[in-house]
This record gives sequence, structure tokens and C-alpha cells, in this order.
Amino acid sequence: MSATALHPEVGVSDEKQAAAKSAGRRFGALVVRLGAIAAFAAIMAYFVIFAPGFTSTFNLINVVEQSAILGVLAYGMTAVIIGGGSDVTEGGIDLSIAANMGLCAAVYATLLSMGYGDLLSVLAAIAVGMAVGALNALAVVGLGILPLLATLAVLNVAAGMELTLTQNTVVGASSPLLGLLVSGSFLGISALAWALIVFSAIVIAVIHGTAFGLRLYAVGGHPEAARAAGLSVPFYVSFTYVLSGFCAAVASILTVSRLSASTPGSGELLLSVLAAALLGTVFSRRFVPTMGGTLLSVLFIGLLANGFQLLNVSSYWVNGVQGALILLVVAITSFARGSEGSR
Amino acid sequence: MTRSMKGLVKALALGLAAACSLAAISGATAEELSLKGKRIGVSAIGTDHYWDLMAFRGIQDRVKELGGEVIALDAGRKDQQQIAQLQTLIAQKPDAIIEQLGNLEVLNPWLQKIRDAGIPLFTVDTATPHAINNTTSNNYNIGAEIALQMVADMGGKGNVLVFNGFYSVPVCKIRYDQLKYVLTSFPDVKIVEPELRDVIPNTVQSAYSNVTDMLTKSPEKGSIGAVWACWDVPQIGATQAVEAAGRNEVKTYGIDGSPEVVKMVMDPKSSAGAVAAQQPYEIGKTSVDNAAKYLAGQKVAPFTFVPAVLINKENAAEKGKPFLDAAEKAGVK
Repeated sequence: MSATALHPEVGVSDEKQAAAKSAGRRFGALVVRLGAIAAFAAIMAYFVIFAPGFTSTFNLINVVEQSAILGVLAYGMTAVIIGGGSDVTEGGIDLSIAANMGLCAAVYATLLSMGYGDLLSVLAAIAVGMAVGALNALAVVGLGILPLLATLAVLNVAAGMELTLTQNTVVGASSPLLGLLVSGSFLGISALAWALIVFSAIVIAVIHGTAFGLRLYAVGGHPEAARAAGLSVPFYVSFTYVLSGFCAAVASILTVSRLSASTPGSGELLLSVLAAALLGTVFSRRFVPTMGGTLLSVLFIGLLANGFQLLNVSSYWVNGVQGALILLVVAITSFARGSEGSR
Repeated sequence: MTRSMKGLVKALALGLAAACSLAAISGATAEELSLKGKRIGVSAIGTDHYWDLMAFRGIQDRVKELGGEVIALDAGRKDQQQIAQLQTLIAQKPDAIIEQLGNLEVLNPWLQKIRDAGIPLFTVDTATPHAINNTTSNNYNIGAEIALQMVADMGGKGNVLVFNGFYSVPVCKIRYDQLKYVLTSFPDVKIVEPELRDVIPNTVQSAYSNVTDMLTKSPEKGSIGAVWACWDVPQIGATQAVEAAGRNEVKTYGIDGSPEVVKMVMDPKSSAGAVAAQQPYEIGKTSVDNAAKYLAGQKVAPFTFVPAVLINKENAAEKGKPFLDAAEKAGVK
């Protein structure tokens, strides 16, 4: 609406027409969005009815556990997209997040195997993760490189450093913290599942419950307006990349606990992380990424693989369905953007 | 007992005539075993290599042949995914689980959980204390044979480039250790330090550039005598690199018997010296037979060896063809 004020040359009748058109598209977008959510619900309902053991508490806790690493990474990615804007080509994106996790896991496992304790090893992993995040921030904010390219370059730096450190081998690790994460449980819920629950609660509270989070959305949604309102855009954008690095470090500790080692090939997770962050937008009315939406889509991706296995459908289908859903959501998002873009 | 003795004798006899063993072993036990009404979970770390795919297929085909239901899970070479699949598989409570390859360090705690859940565990080419039976090739034999072939071709002296990127994979450890053991008797054969690292993915390309670099570093003819790898995909890249550099005095050695490598060894002009060809399809089938025997209350030994065949320049024409035929029959190139 405010956009029309910036264009006084637009005639009254044009304005009405545009408003009607935009309302129509908005309605269309709403229908498509509800359609997507209905499709998610239908898949879940099908699993509930036909997949043996799908609804058992044991199975559901398993899925939450299996989603913990992807979830923590997807929060980092979501924060970057919120702060950098959700334009797929020019907006915020952190392609290095999965490789960063691999590097942090390698640092953590290597230090543990060298006999350093949990405290030092965890701190080192977090420092490395945030340093990689800071490198992204420097490239994107400081040097003004397109995030897609900047983080792609940092991906290679992180992957290369991991290879140098581990020589592409499996580094076994065990420690009291890892033992707790593997076998600990509270109220019948395993430690890894708790890790996701607590981490989710914190990021949702910070991003959606504080003025800081609101400002972050302002910076990503309309940087010029945010700057005019006195917000330091570079600070907020840099913050998201460092946060993303922090998430990578936290995920690395979870991954080492789950695999009892740091293993090569963490970079493979990137596609799922992107999928989760992008899919999450359909759970928001304005098609913006939200932490809650990301959580739902992470769980959805986990349940999809789980349901297919329980139905004894080939695991090869999971990738195909995941890819199709990403395409659908990106299509819907661009459709909804189109209505905003035409103002 | 007598039946297993008979089976052993038969297996040994067949080992000598490995060419026809594919048909014969399965024919010997087909009538007695059944998996009717049983659900068998199969978890493989990946199927992107010939060996893995053939073994994975052998398992599935055999379970279906015996009337069982297969839950087949391919982790696409992602540890996270394999762990998630195993976790869900345990909740599905199948009658038995067959696990094929992967990182032992990652897998062992989860294989322990399979046993804790009371599910019989069988493995293919994966030596773990948690499995009731591991079906594999005799990697001690394979490792020694391919090493001895290499030493013989080198005339007992020279330098060897060794790919040792997967020492954490148990079969590679055995083969590498056997190579070292054989070399203790041939002090004039030396491994070039530092050793090379084979990688997944881009195995062929990476081996090609590694070997090219090393040949460039040692330009005099004869300074490198052979290239060794614990499997045969690096051997493909190594052979191409040797040929591209025109260093025909260097021969390559590997293990597994991928059709592409068997063809190379069969080609008299190729620098591929020898390959120890395993029978992965047969290994997969045999592990199912072991599971079926166990579920029928029979005793099963902790490991079963399926014979492998050393294909070298001398015997390639005769020994290589049956392997290519088997691969073609399975529709794998």
C-alpha cells in the first residue's frame, strides 16, 4: 500500500486495477498455500492409517531424534534467510553450513581423541563454527559479495580444512557429554530429542518473541526502510551468519554423538537443510521463513523418510518427493512474491 | 553337521571351478531353506559401486526366492541416513537384519542395539562382534595373493604406490596388512611414503591425478614398479594415468573384480596387472542362506567365505569371461 505513495504518477483507475489484481493473486496464493498444507496433512494422514507403527510414541521420538541435526542446521539457514531477505538469488543464504558442521565435528572429534576434555573441545568447535560464520559475514557484508557466491567459496574453504584435518578418515570419539547425548533420557524422551526441543524453544523465543527478532525481519524484508529507521543493517546481517556458524557447531556435537565419530560427507546434508528452510515458508501467511515453519518442515522431512520405510516403499522415492516438494514451494513462493512485486 | 561338512567340501570343490560356482551353490541348498512369512531388513551404506550393488541385489533376490519379504534400505553413502534407517528398522522388528558395509566405528553401537532388541543380525563383508555370521570373501587370502602376484611381476624389487585412504574399512585393513606382511619377506619392494589416499566420491579422477603427480615426481623409468589399492575403482584411475604417461613398466593391482577392471586385465596392452575378483552377488545370497538356516534352528558359523578368483595377465582370457558374463546377466556394466 505504501508503495503507491512513492509513485504519485500512477492514476487512480490504474491503482484500483492493480489493487484488484493483487487481491486476486493474494487469494490465489492463499488457495495454493492451503493446498500445500493440505497435501502435507494428507500424506501424514495416509501414514497414520497405513504405515504400521507410525504413531507409536517410540517411533515418533525416533523421528524427533533423527531430525535433531537437520533441525539445528535449518534454524541457522532460516536465520540467514530472514536477515538477508528471502530472494533466492540475491537474498541471504548460507551454503557453507553443512560443510561448516563437518569441520566443527572434525575439530571436536580430533581434540577429544587427542585427550582434551569435553569443555575445551566443545568450546573449540563452537569457536571454529562461529569463525567460519564470521568469514561469511566478512565476505557478504564487508566485501559485498553475493551471499550465494560468498558462502559457496567458504563451503570449499571449510570442506578443505576438514579434509586436511581428518585426511578424509573417520575420527572416532567418546566422552562423558557424548555418552549423555547417546544414552541419556528424561521423562521418556531421549537426550538428542531434548536437544532439538530446547534449541527450538530458544530460537523461536529469540526470533519471534523479542524486539531483536522483529528488527531482524525488518532488515531482511526492507533493508532501506530499516536503515532509515536507524537500524544497523550490516550488524544484523553479520549476526545471522555468525549465528548460522554457531548452529553448525551445535549440530556438529549432535552428529558426533549420533555417529560416535566425525565422518566425511557432512556436506551431503546441505540440500535437506535448504529444503527444510524453504519448505517452512508455506507455514507462514506471508510466505516468509519462520522458525516454527522450519521446525514443522524438518519434522515433515523426517516423517516422510520414516513413513516410507514403514510402508516398505523404496528409500529412493524420498529424494524424489523431497525434490518435488521444494519445486512446489519455490513455485508458490515466487507466485506469492509476484503479487507483492506488482505493487 | 554332516550337511555342513558336505557343504564345505562342495564349496571347496566349487572354489577350484569358481566359474560355475554361481549356479551350483544356490542349486545345492535351494530346496531345504525357506523364509516364508519372514520379514528380512537389509541395510546397505550405498550401492553406487559394482560390488555393493551386486551384493545388495543378491540379498534381495535370494530373500524373495525363499518366499520372504524384504525391507531394502540403501543409505546413499550417508552415515546419518543409514543410522536413521537402522533406528527405524529396529522399531519395525523384522525377523532378521542383514547389514552390508559402512563405517564400523559409526555402526557398531547401532548393531549392538539391533542385538539388544533381540533381532538376529547378519552382515555382508562387515566383521563385527555383534553379527551372528559375516559372509565375505577370504580377504586374508585375497590380500596375500594379490600382493604376491604384484611382487612376482615386479621381479621382487622396486617401489610401490599404495592407496591407503580406507584403512578404517575392515576389509581394506586386512588386505593392506596382508600386503605389508608379504612385503616383510621382500625387503627390496618398498612402499613410497607418504602413501596415497583414495577418496569417495570422484575416486577415479582423484586416483588419476594422484598417480599422474607421483609419476611426474619420479620421471625415470623403473623408479615406480606398481600401484596397489585395496579395491579396484582407484585402480581404474591409476591404470589410465600410467597409460597416459606412457609408463608401461608400471602395473596396477586391485581387488573386487568390477567388469571394467576385469576387461582391463584381459586386455594384453593394458597396464592393469591383476585383480582379485570377488563374487558379490553370491556373497549376498549366501548371507541370506545363513539367516534362513539360523531362523530354521540350524547352527551357523560366525563367518562364511565365498571364494574369489585371482585374474592376472596369464589366465585373464579364461578366468575373466565368466565374471563379465555374470555382470551382463545382472544388467550391470
